[in-house]
Amino acid sequence: MQDEKVFISELLNSKTQNEAFRKLLQLYQKPLYHHIRGMVLNHDDADDVLQNTFLKVYSNLHQFKGDSKLFSWMYRIATNESITFMQQRAKKQGITNEEVKEKALQRLESDVYFDGDEMQLKLQRAVATLPEKQQLVFKMKYYEALKYEDMSEILTTSVGALKASYHLAVKKIEHLIELD
Amino acid sequence: MKLSELKNIDKQETGFRIPEGYFEVFETKIMQQITTKNGKTKNTVIALFHRKRIWMSSIAAVFVVTIAIPLYFNGTANTSMESYAIEHYLMQQQNVTTTEIVPHLTDEDITALATSLGVSATECDDMEAYLSESEHIEYILND
Repeated sequence: MQDEKVFISELLNSKTQNEAFRKLLQLYQKPLYHHIRGMVLNHDDADDVLQNTFLKVYSNLHQFKGDSKLFSWMYRIATNESITFMQQRAKKQGITNEEVKEKALQRLESDVYFDGDEMQLKLQRAVATLPEKQQLVFKMKYYEALKYEDMSEILTTSVGALKASYHLAVKKIEHLIELD
Repeated sequence: MKLSELKNIDKQETGFRIPEGYFEVFETKIMQQITTKNGKTKNTVIALFHRKRIWMSSIAAVFVVTIAIPLYFNGTANTSMESYAIEHYLMQQQNVTTTEIVPHLTDEDITALATSLGVSATECDDMEAYLSESEHIEYILND
């Protein structure tokens, strides 16, 4: 935590800012990319959202109060940016958020940057049927292997509630895959 | 993949691929954007300076106009007041008659007077000819 405070002060200091931000990029660009990609599914969209996320992080660094970990704060920004991106796309195309996700899923089958097998595609389809919060919990636990404690900070939900949500999501997905 | 694996496995493959060298390019792209952003901020400072100069010029212009407008209008008012005062003064003076005023009239004044009375130059000549032929001209002039 002490190290993080030093790192944050380096990020806020105009002399050390650029180097510190480069380090921040190297540390978090991969996990944040995977988190965003899991939500928007398409690589180009994930690239846009990841860019917006880091630019937002950069311009809001002075507002970071250190109440949570820097990592959780950035994950929260990435999550919100992904949700906003999907909502804006839905609004632009005059369709619902669910329809946007459905379209993204359909495109996934022919996506050159997706080489998942039939089972992985089936799993993506099953996850898409879950409520939004449950989808997030499932993806963060199953694909990103985040700890419940970290997820609790990012999603501002209790660990108990997250465990229950994940358990429920797994049950629903198992049921859907069995039916398929 | 068995369904039971969903519960206990630590991390699963998503099947998502990423273009080769993507993160290196991404890092460079973001760092460039941030540098440009910082550069733009510096430019904004220069722009603010220009804006300050414009503001100062505007204030100076307003100041000059504020002084110039009353001066202009007061000057005009003074001139009209002066003419009016002279005219009024002459009208009030019993000793000043047309005989005293006539020698001071310039050619322009006479032309303006003739125009205001609606008399043309030819008519003036006719009137002069008529008066010179009149038998009572001496009497009129001496009166």
